[in-house]
Amino acid sequence: MTGKRYIMNAGRTTKQGQQINISKDSPEYLAMVTTLIMHPDDMKEAGIESGGTVRVRSDNGEGLFQCKEGKVPAGMIFVPYGPPTCRLMGQTTDGTGMPTSKGWEVEIEPVAPESSQQAAEGAP
Amino acid sequence: MGGKVTCTLGEIKNRADFIVYWGGNPAECHPRHFTKYTLTQKGKFVPNGRKDRTMVLVDIRETPSARAADIFLQIKPGKDFEILTTLRALVKGHRVNEASVAETGLSIEQLRDLADRMKQARFGVIFFGMGLSMTRGKHMNSAAVLMLAAELNAFTKFVTMPMRGHGNVTGSDMVMRWSTGYPFGVSLCRGYPRFNPGEFSTVDLLVRGDVDAALVLGADPGATMPQPGIDHLARIPTIVLDPKVTHTSRLARVHITTAATGISAPGTVYRMDEIPLPLRPALVSPYPTDEEVIRRIREAVAKKPAWAQRPAAMAPTN
Repeated sequence: MTGKRYIMNAGRTTKQGQQINISKDSPEYLAMVTTLIMHPDDMKEAGIESGGTVRVRSDNGEGLFQCKEGKVPAGMIFVPYGPPTCRLMGQTTDGTGMPTSKGWEVEIEPVAPESSQQAAEGAP
Repeated sequence: MGGKVTCTLGEIKNRADFIVYWGGNPAECHPRHFTKYTLTQKGKFVPNGRKDRTMVLVDIRETPSARAADIFLQIKPGKDFEILTTLRALVKGHRVNEASVAETGLSIEQLRDLADRMKQARFGVIFFGMGLSMTRGKHMNSAAVLMLAAELNAFTKFVTMPMRGHGNVTGSDMVMRWSTGYPFGVSLCRGYPRFNPGEFSTVDLLVRGDVDAALVLGADPGATMPQPGIDHLARIPTIVLDPKVTHTSRLARVHITTAATGISAPGTVYRMDEIPLPLRPALVSPYPTDEEVIRRIREAVAKKPAWAQRPAAMAPTN
């Protein structure tokens, strides 16, 4: 990775927790786990429009997400846990048994609108 | 390093007047924590409920839990260990480097104030979540918070408790603890338990491809694990027991639908304070319980001939 790096902070939300118990195949769940929250200034700097599609790349993999502005510190992005974050998270556990599921360094780049459908389907 | 000074949630409800949430977002992830145990309940020694309690939230972003806090301390990502270590020094009256403190996102005055409030509390508790235990530092962060709580007992009563998630993850740890002596990451390959996280823990075994079969019970690693671990589950014979079809079911060779524990199957669940609670099912399920399926698999396996010959010394003699 050579571009500007952001701290990716994956976590739980109430709606995501409710949706897990309804269906992980529902469009609502897929939309939640493929939508990330970013600071408005970071979005402006990276040339990303609210609701636009972005490619997120970590040392372990990459995925497409919808990007929305929200209340997170500059330099950080938040995304609910889900299958798309599995492709990005750390693969070693540093001898603890648990992978690093928060605080990865990632790069973000806007992608063309035609890839939006892919993001909605959770495709890499 | 080691040991956890803790108590039950009932004691916290009745006694705690100073509550810290560190790296957790209970308003979203444990939505009844505030109202059942920590903030709004009136307790024996906190008769005025919320008015008798002070709540501090420490996190890297302003989550919905911040609205419930009296003090919100927003720290920089990855600085938990430094802040906890600084607090340990301040509690004991040691000098600290103010320039280093400035890198954490908090000022020395904020940390002094927190340390003083902790020492002046009558009964304090630190709840810590995945924001502390699954970010850089991991078990060292957890150890630091356990040490801070233990050392505060030189001044007042202070306890700590991890904000355990999911339905019965504490129950899994508890049963493993009283049956093998270890909470997780246990290998029984040699006929006796061996504990080594990083070697025998599930994520590591799957990511390295060390196992050639998997039985998944009450979990969905296909939607939560690192991708190489998911890919390995698809390569090997994987059996899933779950009330619903999950992401893991789709990559498994066999999915067995079971009754939902607590809804249509009885059982025992351990609360996050390690208190076992019986579950009484409200509905009847056409599906077998997890316990019944496992018992029947075990009985079928026991009828098969042993895969390895007995040593000559153990063979029966006439």
